[in-house]
Amino acid sequence: MIVADRKPLNEILDMVKRCNRILVVGCKGCVTVCNVGGLKEVQILATSLKIARKIGGFPLVVDEMVLERQCDTEYIAIIKETVTDYDAVVSMACGVGPQFLSEAYPEQKFYPAVNTTFFGGAVSHGIWEERCAGCGTCVIHYFDGLCPVARCSKSLLNGPCGGSDHGKCEISREVDCIWDKIVRKKVEQGRLDDLLDVVPAKNWQSARDGGPRRSRREELIQNG
Amino acid sequence: MTENTTPSQIGSVLVVGAGVAGIQASLDMANAGYYVHLVDNSPSVGGLMAQLDKTFPTNDCAMCIISPFLVEVGRHLNINIIPNSEVESLEGNAGAFRATVRNDPRYIDMEKCTACGQCRQVCPVTAINEFDCGLDLRRATYIKYPQAVPLAYTIDRSICIGCGLCEKACLAEAITYSDSPRRTTLDVGAVVLAMGNEVFDPSGLTPYAYTRHPNIVTSLEFERILSASGPYKGHLMRPYDRETPSKIAWLQCVGSRDIKPSGHRYCSSVCCMYSIKQSIIAMEHAETPLETAIFYMDMRTYGKDFDKYQVRAGDEKGVRFVRARVHTIEPVENGDLKLRIVQESGNMTEEVFNMVVLACSLNPSSQAVLLANRLGIDLNAHSYAKTSDFNPVTTSRDGVYVCGSFQGPKDIPQSVMEASAAASGATQLLSAVRWSQTKIRDLPPETDFSGQDPRIGVFVCNCGINIGGVADVPAVREYARTLPHVVHVEDNLFTCSQDTQEKMKQVIVEHAINRVVVASCSPRTHEPLFQETIREAGLNKYLFEMANIRDQNTWVHMKTPEKATAKAKDLVRMAVAKAAYVEPLPQVILGVTHAVLVVGGGVAGMEAALGVARQGYQAFLVERSNRLGGVARQLQHTWQGQSVPAYLDQLIADVNNHDRIDVFLETDVVHVTGTIGNFVTTLRLQNHSEQPRIIEHGAAILATGGKEYQPTEYLHGKHPAILTHLEMDAALAGQTTEFRNAQVAVFIQCVGSRTPDRPYCSRVCCTHSLKTALHLRSLNAGMKIFILYRDIRSYGLREDMYHQAREAGIQFIRFDTDNPPELFLTPDPDAGFGKLNLRITDHILNRPIEMNPDLVILASAILPNENKKLFEAFKVPTNADGFLVEAHAKLRPVDFASEGLFLAGLAHSPKSIDESIAQARAAVSRTMAIVSREGILVGSVIASINPERCAVCLTCVRTCPYGIPRIDPEKGHAVIEAAECHGCGVCVSECPGKAITLKHFTDEQINAKTHALFCA
Repeated sequence: MIVADRKPLNEILDMVKRCNRILVVGCKGCVTVCNVGGLKEVQILATSLKIARKIGGFPLVVDEMVLERQCDTEYIAIIKETVTDYDAVVSMACGVGPQFLSEAYPEQKFYPAVNTTFFGGAVSHGIWEERCAGCGTCVIHYFDGLCPVARCSKSLLNGPCGGSDHGKCEISREVDCIWDKIVRKKVEQGRLDDLLDVVPAKNWQSARDGGPRRSRREELIQNG
Repeated sequence: MTENTTPSQIGSVLVVGAGVAGIQASLDMANAGYYVHLVDNSPSVGGLMAQLDKTFPTNDCAMCIISPFLVEVGRHLNINIIPNSEVESLEGNAGAFRATVRNDPRYIDMEKCTACGQCRQVCPVTAINEFDCGLDLRRATYIKYPQAVPLAYTIDRSICIGCGLCEKACLAEAITYSDSPRRTTLDVGAVVLAMGNEVFDPSGLTPYAYTRHPNIVTSLEFERILSASGPYKGHLMRPYDRETPSKIAWLQCVGSRDIKPSGHRYCSSVCCMYSIKQSIIAMEHAETPLETAIFYMDMRTYGKDFDKYQVRAGDEKGVRFVRARVHTIEPVENGDLKLRIVQESGNMTEEVFNMVVLACSLNPSSQAVLLANRLGIDLNAHSYAKTSDFNPVTTSRDGVYVCGSFQGPKDIPQSVMEASAAASGATQLLSAVRWSQTKIRDLPPETDFSGQDPRIGVFVCNCGINIGGVADVPAVREYARTLPHVVHVEDNLFTCSQDTQEKMKQVIVEHAINRVVVASCSPRTHEPLFQETIREAGLNKYLFEMANIRDQNTWVHMKTPEKATAKAKDLVRMAVAKAAYVEPLPQVILGVTHAVLVVGGGVAGMEAALGVARQGYQAFLVERSNRLGGVARQLQHTWQGQSVPAYLDQLIADVNNHDRIDVFLETDVVHVTGTIGNFVTTLRLQNHSEQPRIIEHGAAILATGGKEYQPTEYLHGKHPAILTHLEMDAALAGQTTEFRNAQVAVFIQCVGSRTPDRPYCSRVCCTHSLKTALHLRSLNAGMKIFILYRDIRSYGLREDMYHQAREAGIQFIRFDTDNPPELFLTPDPDAGFGKLNLRITDHILNRPIEMNPDLVILASAILPNENKKLFEAFKVPTNADGFLVEAHAKLRPVDFASEGLFLAGLAHSPKSIDESIAQARAAVSRTMAIVSREGILVGSVIASINPERCAVCLTCVRTCPYGIPRIDPEKGHAVIEAAECHGCGVCVSECPGKAITLKHFTDEQINAKTHALFCA
């Protein structure tokens, strides 16, 4: 899933400082599952904004709602009638949400309430880790299910580098060296020789280096 | 134990002693169909545990965990608490006793006393507060502690001056100076003794100077010092000058393991752990850095997860463990204390501490001993109730059972297990007269108010002058009249008094009130009472809301009455606002399958199955091997010398011959569904010769057992003279006599236990070694016998064996893990397998010694049996060591967190056979509260899911402390079974999609309340 973190309240307050009336809109997709932009978080943010503004002597009217997903125009259409009732709309979805909203309602201002961080999963309740960099050409099969593109600080395809230190990456004691894990797994599986094959340089055009990406599925595209 | 009934049996039971064991036994029996008379000589229940600050090894607050039990026992329809009373005699026989009880006066009528505390306020007499161990004062009119049950005051007439002030102050007219002792008789079918222990008085130990210095305190005094409700309100201070100590010493074995007549020879079982706990908690309470040191002989952390606790205390918390017996405590200047310590090396050293805690032993009180004598119960040499290993809770008198520390010094979970086991014994005896003496509350049907607007009645209590003397109650009452939906208001002197309750019921009917608000003391003590009252008037008990205008208002704002009145209005307004939204929460009765599934055919499993059958219910016993008996087949004697094979043969025969037990051998549990009261389990024969068998049962007991670790250490398997305990037992039971000729026998302790891989103590091995060593000594008086150990853990009365072993000349050599014994095999042409050579550093000589043992016995660890699939089928958790995890380490040692599932025996943790039997019988007792009923009530305050909002994110699954929510793949959303939900609300607060609602605590209700507070 896409993982995000809530922005600090002051940052959001600053975005809406000139507003009298706003809508906070959550998303029932990834951000609900990573406990950052579901109904609960929408209510917490709305209430926090109201309290902060009330204390500041400049009360703010905040309405709350949650869309099924903010990355589908059909769901976004649900706020069509009401979207202009507000001075601004704060989206708690990933970075996709405010953009889809902006495109659908060019007359309205949309602000992000979260920082979209990575593609990952919950390793335990409350801890999420990055697992995928969305590079566009998956190479995980070379590494027995472990992705050095997302999980090596240098995205090395032929590691480890000299910064691997007792299973940790030199950038931080908090960061595991994925190459240490890859090598250990190969040893355990008796396939260390696999690593004698040099993985050729990756074509990064399918990643962000090739510019903004688009996916076309001809069989799904409806004519007319 | 007979299953035959005599018509004269009586379906009530007498429990003597209302500590944690007595309470547990009472609750078990009352919930399984018996009327219980619970007698205690104190004015309130709770016993020693109520005085403790925290409990090991979880550091839970003792009062926090026991108080729900106090409340439950206090309000139970089928438990009659008889405080201030002594059992004088017991006539009759098992099944039909008549007990004569002396009820000492408390001079305050419990029925009338509302615990308003006015009597205490006016009492001019100051007395020593025994509950705080004399570190604080109380009045002559007093209550032991705020959570006391029964919640009623008493007058200590030994110091009362009879001034009459309390009588004048008591508006409830509860004072009865003329009260005098009475005698009552109780007809009961069985008796459970749970008199507990008292803490040793160290005054007689002159070198410890206890009576000469206030900064030398007993362990119980230190519990009170640490307690937030204690004399220093939880601030760590020493009594002499109320300074915060920076260095505290604990001296272990004060009055324990002491062969002098001033002490006790046995080990008190709990002191090592409580001292570690106290040292950790003291550091948490200290505002400045605190240095702690524990002076001990052997560190006896033998219980489940205890060793890890000790290791953490040393490694992480910095508690200093010093193996030394302190010689003398000598007071020095500034209130400090100098300890004279003989080090292991033999050197005498001195060290100064700010405070010293004496880890005092436990012993039966003289009153308890006298009572046992009156009842004709045999006691052992240490004045504990005499029991046998195979009947660990059965006394010498038929129909009289014993549990808890009156049976031997022990910790809380062991006491609780025995309490349930004793309950099982008593109820098995009386199984024919179950539900014959119990009371049923006769209630009118609930009125249906659906579709009606709220009609709220508000009752404001004066609580004598507790509330009315501070806040303006009439003003609060009139204010309530102005609130929305309120149709009736009144104020009462005591809303909780019997007459007001009756009046309240009439008023509810007269005014067609459908929601009730009481503004009074505290829901903690009084909500159930008021709920009962409105239920008797036909209202669902959840159509009730309480405003705490006493404990949280007039008591704390006594000096600002105007503000207290304003706050009372706020609180009443909030309660009324919520009341308008509360809804009836009807409970549904689910039928129960009157059968129990027992998994595991060892001693624990068989005892459990037999117990269930003898209680009159069907038992299904599933064993994966081809025969019953389990690991006990390899044991010869219990620690007290009883024959295991004889017992086991009888047990297997009893199980096989009982017509209410179905035994399934070579069978696996493959699938489990259902919830408490109604499980459906699929069994499959291992050879697949038959179709899977579907079993329906109301509860299940997992007794999947354990086994002996097969050592890789110490050349095990490489020489015939190197044996584990079980191998040695088998050899001793055989006809071979060669062991008699051994010149040197060596026992090596902790083989595979207390290691980084297995960081737990296997509990039984020290005792086992002592027993085998003494056996060898009896075979050959000339044999040199050595026990190489880390700590000898002959806990409790097992210490006698340690004593005997030393007297018998068995030599003990201690070793550290960094310098363990080494065993070598040298080729010897005369001996086929070679010669054994053992090297160890003697801890006293501090030099290596060598010996050539003819026999080496490895005290090998106990491992839990592996049952991954089975445990997954039941969804029960195991800890890092593979042992099953109980619902609560202290107070629910036989229950799983999942309702209706129980555990017993080695699968729970290493234990001796008597302890396994006690736990198995305890599990039987716990199942009886389910299978002996026609139905169980489910519903009310539980979490419910709105599937449309569920994002299947797993947050509820991951955060539920009881593991109840699951994602239903077919329904595509989370599911919480009503029968299993504990209603704690964790999932509700965590759910990111707000898909879960806790009934009676809905957003709508809470928002109404907060809105009333802030926005009115």
